[in-house]
Amino acid sequence: MLDLTLYVYTAAIVAYIVREIWRAKTMRWVAFGLFAGGFILNTIVVLNRWAEANHAPMSDKYESFVFFGWSIALVYLIFELVTIFIVKVHESRLGIIGALQGVLAAWMICSALGIDNTIKELPPALQSKWLVTHVICYFLSYSALSMSFSAAIVHLVRKAFVSDKPKEAAAAGTVVQKKKDYSFDKLAYIAVSIGFPFLTIGLITGSIWAKGAWGTYWGWDPKEIWSLISWLVYLTYMHLPLMLPKTNIKKSFRPILLSIILLIAFPIVLFTFMGLHKLPSSVDSDHIYAE
Amino acid sequence: MANPAEPQQKKSNSDSKAWEILCSVRLAVIIIIIMAVACILGTVILQIKSPEEYVSRYGPGLAKFYAAIQFTDIFHSYWFSFLLILLCVNLGCCTVKRWRNKVLMIGFLVTHISIILILIGCVVDLLTGVKGGVNVYEGSSVDYYLTRADYKKVPLGFQVFCDDFIIEKHPPKYKLITYVKDKDKQKAVSLAVGKKISIPGTNYAATVKELIEDAEVQHEPINVSDEPKNPALYIQLSAKDKVTAEGWLLAKDRNWYNDTQRDLKIDYVWADTDEAHERLTNAAAKSSTKPTLEIRIEGTDIVKNVPVEKGQKISIKGTDYTVEVKDFALDYSKRLVALSEQEPNNPAVMVEISGPQGVDSRWSFSKYPDYQDKAHKTIYKDVKLLCTVPEDFSDAKNRVRIVQSRSGKQTITYIKGGKVISTNDWVLGQGYDISDSGLKIRIQKYFPSHSLKKTVVKRTGGHEGHNHGPGEHHGNPAALIEMEGPRGKYAEWVFAHTPPHWYPDNNFAVLYEKSGMEVKDYKSILRVVENGKTMMTKTIEVNSPLKYKGFVFYQSSYDPEGERYTGLQVTKNPGLLVVYSGFILLCLGIVFIFYVKPFLRRKFQKGKKIKEIYSEEEMLAEHIDE
Repeated sequence: MLDLTLYVYTAAIVAYIVREIWRAKTMRWVAFGLFAGGFILNTIVVLNRWAEANHAPMSDKYESFVFFGWSIALVYLIFELVTIFIVKVHESRLGIIGALQGVLAAWMICSALGIDNTIKELPPALQSKWLVTHVICYFLSYSALSMSFSAAIVHLVRKAFVSDKPKEAAAAGTVVQKKKDYSFDKLAYIAVSIGFPFLTIGLITGSIWAKGAWGTYWGWDPKEIWSLISWLVYLTYMHLPLMLPKTNIKKSFRPILLSIILLIAFPIVLFTFMGLHKLPSSVDSDHIYAE
Repeated sequence: MANPAEPQQKKSNSDSKAWEILCSVRLAVIIIIIMAVACILGTVILQIKSPEEYVSRYGPGLAKFYAAIQFTDIFHSYWFSFLLILLCVNLGCCTVKRWRNKVLMIGFLVTHISIILILIGCVVDLLTGVKGGVNVYEGSSVDYYLTRADYKKVPLGFQVFCDDFIIEKHPPKYKLITYVKDKDKQKAVSLAVGKKISIPGTNYAATVKELIEDAEVQHEPINVSDEPKNPALYIQLSAKDKVTAEGWLLAKDRNWYNDTQRDLKIDYVWADTDEAHERLTNAAAKSSTKPTLEIRIEGTDIVKNVPVEKGQKISIKGTDYTVEVKDFALDYSKRLVALSEQEPNNPAVMVEISGPQGVDSRWSFSKYPDYQDKAHKTIYKDVKLLCTVPEDFSDAKNRVRIVQSRSGKQTITYIKGGKVISTNDWVLGQGYDISDSGLKIRIQKYFPSHSLKKTVVKRTGGHEGHNHGPGEHHGNPAALIEMEGPRGKYAEWVFAHTPPHWYPDNNFAVLYEKSGMEVKDYKSILRVVENGKTMMTKTIEVNSPLKYKGFVFYQSSYDPEGERYTGLQVTKNPGLLVVYSGFILLCLGIVFIFYVKPFLRRKFQKGKKIKEIYSEEEMLAEHIDE
């Protein structure tokens, strides 16, 4: 089932790339449908695991990967639906992000395939009502932030390779003008503004949980520190636009700088999620997935 | 520092440059970035370790440098504290300066104030709070705790008893592991019944046909042939119509039964011819096999074998030793009761060796010939004893011998004190009195070719003899596994806790293995006693602490060796309320900014131009193009 999910996600990636080149309406639906199909399969895997394990499927590495893949797909699909049908953004603004999100989801599923998936009992510290809230907040936030990452990549790539002004202008004359046209840095900002509140709530619920389980709401545990770091980086991203006009940085360079920050920020998030065991200080932590 | 578009504060004369800087976003961003970098350093450089460890890890120069700029404990360093204070001041100033008294700015106000609240709460906790721990032994109490930082004893003002500490465990889990030898490939497979699992890369497959959670092997005696290949009798012994013992005697295997309480031995022998029958019947009178003692003198080739008989004196030729058998026991631990009442559990003989250097007396154990009892000094180390006790040795006065011969002759002989009292023919199902002993013997069944049929069934009935409380029995699961490979199908019951089962070609094996019992919960039953009065009792567990008089007791560790004590974390957080209000405000504020404000704005100011709705700053912050 999990491998099937991976294949469908991979197909979705291909479909999204094709959709970028051949912008037919059917292709749009094929791509969306494939990604949605992968999402449904992923949902079944998650639910099945939930039923089998008898606890929320987010406790060990395998479960987290599958769940992260699921939430990436969920957030992207909702985002695509909302932007296309409600905000009516021109779909060219989304296509390649879909492919990138697909890559990320497929990567998560792929990582999950390679690791031990035996069901483990929930250790005492995880037996808390906060588990579900905390983890879901974080994964929704991570998924939204991953989208900002993809958007930032696309923004930078376009800035670097596509002299998009004349092209846009040529197209603008006819139909496109009717639809709202967001640039990718704007999309990135929207993604962050969706993810950041969840990141904050995740951090806070984690802190409250830690108080209940370990007696301290902030213990400078590597996981805590790194989630604070990712929070601080996105906080910087939020505050920078206010500061930049007061500096000597050129106006045209500002969105690029912000995109670069997003480019740094999401790897930090990923590191917080799954890279902490590489730290020298992780030995003392009881918060990190065992390798 | 003027942003040309921002409406200038007219009273800017009084605003010093310092104030401008304190209010600026630039300062905020710088602080945030420095904090982020500090955090990274705080996880990359080991924190709060001994100076020696830093030197060995980073070298003396770097270690000194780190210590000097407080990189060894970043989060409690002066400069980090200074950063946090600066952040607070910056937040406060910025909030005061930018506040416009508009509904839509609530989010901005609330989030900034909440951060200040959280930081203030943390400082209050740091200054007036308590962070410590204490171990409480089961059944005892403490009236103090040790501080986390320097292990100082601090009185609590009341007593905390630990009435009990419990580790709850999940029932054990079992997994099925397949192993292919030539590829050295191990794989854990699912235990789903009926699903065929092919082992990738090989032509082996395993199917779990049946699964029993708590299985036992039942050995059902059956008769496989009318030829007397393995003759067996089912004997019932009864006293006053009450069955005292019953079971199978196998002529060619375990063919005797000792009733130590009644000083009785029953045996069953098979005779191929009638002559043999005669001989065997009479041979019963004398005890066929006797315990023997082998005396060996090390360094010489002197070996002497003697039957074990109490009081017997043996002088060893060629030496000065005289060996006397002083005592004999079939069960050393019961050596003081009559020999006939002992089971042959630990046979031992006591001998006295007299020689030139006096008397050396020792026990020699038949099952542990090399055992030297440390309590007494062995004088004659070169005298080695080996006591051999035949398995069917019995000292019983009363004997019953059942003899059966190929020709169909079957007799039962009663012997008392070495004399044949009576010999009768017997038939199946008939009871025979054993002379004057008050016992009755009945031969219930006769299987000429006795065999056992093994069946694996669900365990029924009690589990006497198992060392666990009620409800804690976990059973012994078994799976019927069909292994398929180059030599066809081959089904076998595989029990947990047994060695791997190999497929006939010895290349493929399955192992049904227990993967351990995971801890479900740590629990301590705590009782708070103040002035001799029990104030409260609570079973604490992880995620559920005990709170009393501002102190909170958390389950945090335990005695890893004997589970004799529980490790409690003791905290007191006077600033907790402030911190939590900060948490709540931060959540509300942020949700307001990103999820409520955009919709509210649209509702409030429909139809207006973008420029009229947003301030310059908001347009920047929210990436709105003109």
